[in-house]
Amino acid sequence: MRYDVVVVGSGPAGSVTARFAAESGAKVLVIERRREIGVPVLCGEGISRKIDSWGMLDGDKWIARKMDGARIYAPNGTMVKLSAEQAGNETGYVIYRDVFDKELARKAMVAGAEYMMNTKAVGLIKDDNGGIKGVKALHFDEEIEIKADIVVGADGVESRVGKWAGINTTLRPKDLESCAQYTLANVDCQDAYVDFFLGKEKAPGGYIWVFPKDNDTANVGIGVLANLSKPGMAKELLDKFIASDDRLKNGQPLRFLAGAVPVARPIETVRDNIMLVGDAARQVDPITGGGLTHSLEVGKIAGEVIGKAVEEQNFCREFLMEYERRWKKAIGKKMERNYMVKEIMLSFDDKTLNMLADSLKDYKFDEFSTKGLIKALVTKHPTLLARLVPLLRA
Amino acid sequence: MERHKVEVSQEKCLMCGGCVSVCPKDAIEMGEGHAFVIKERCIGCGICIKVCPVGAIHEVVP
Repeated sequence: MRYDVVVVGSGPAGSVTARFAAESGAKVLVIERRREIGVPVLCGEGISRKIDSWGMLDGDKWIARKMDGARIYAPNGTMVKLSAEQAGNETGYVIYRDVFDKELARKAMVAGAEYMMNTKAVGLIKDDNGGIKGVKALHFDEEIEIKADIVVGADGVESRVGKWAGINTTLRPKDLESCAQYTLANVDCQDAYVDFFLGKEKAPGGYIWVFPKDNDTANVGIGVLANLSKPGMAKELLDKFIASDDRLKNGQPLRFLAGAVPVARPIETVRDNIMLVGDAARQVDPITGGGLTHSLEVGKIAGEVIGKAVEEQNFCREFLMEYERRWKKAIGKKMERNYMVKEIMLSFDDKTLNMLADSLKDYKFDEFSTKGLIKALVTKHPTLLARLVPLLRA
Repeated sequence: MERHKVEVSQEKCLMCGGCVSVCPKDAIEMGEGHAFVIKERCIGCGICIKVCPVGAIHEVVP
């Protein structure tokens, strides 16, 4: 088998990369170790409405519910509300992530990308000089070799592709959120608000989320910073929260999953014949743990650069670096800023979080984003948060 | 004394990949339906045990 590009992993980053590479004329194969695209759903299923203008998805089958805003609850229950009216109506959707992933894959397929399921990458094909020439994989139980000029690692938080190419992607526990998540039915979620609950007792170094998919179904999950975690802690704390919450306590699980989310600083993502995208490239917002919009943004850039590389038949690091420069310009600065904010937030005890929430409870936000929230905090607490001021430029 | 190695419970593991991403020795890989430890590479540091959201990883006494 011979392709211009082989993409390892069919999540959003992989499929969007595949789509834009194929649209630029590249011959693309996507391999997926699982048997179905988009399953299991390892995700809170929230996404910003800024994707509306990107034109990457057709129709609305993938939207479960349009949100009116977000509510953040401090440890003592003080609530900070960011609503649509304040934020230029740009809030977000709760989505069906399995449908969402399939839709992105379908768009890639229409653009000409080929897909292979049940195909697990097990290593890289290298020539005598160590040059990367493709991927070795197991298709069901058959060993196959897929020759390609570019290998894209879109293989998620547990990425191997980067490591095979010599890129150190090992995460420190302080840069990983350990997650557990239910989709619960028979809950009572009338308000179209995504809710976040903070506190060292509730979710050390992370948060609990309640994202309503409709009035009686919600995606409810937890992220715990792995260096503050204990074995099984994410599930235990999530179960405890659900049992104590009036809206959720009668809920029954439609599914239960564990997850892992990188909350790290930007890393190296390009070597000769290799690119990393999505969670494999750690392209996740270190505060929210959100990676979907990033994956769409970087996938498009990656696909476009691959198109140029194939046209020029130039696959060296220097040429592919256009991808890294462009994605770092698009989201890298924001990631650096939010990583520092994450570190500062971690130093706050519950009392400080309560105080901050209390000072923001009537604040009128002009931007529905972490940046809007940081701006508000700096406005209210110039001395406490002086370290944050320079970060707002990014 | 030799450090204890670790083992992944096939029944408990939900394949989130967290342990794989933090292992400093690349000693954990995703298998069919669960992660598994490559014993020759494991140094018994125990980072993966702590990270696991469902408590599926434990020490084994050699």
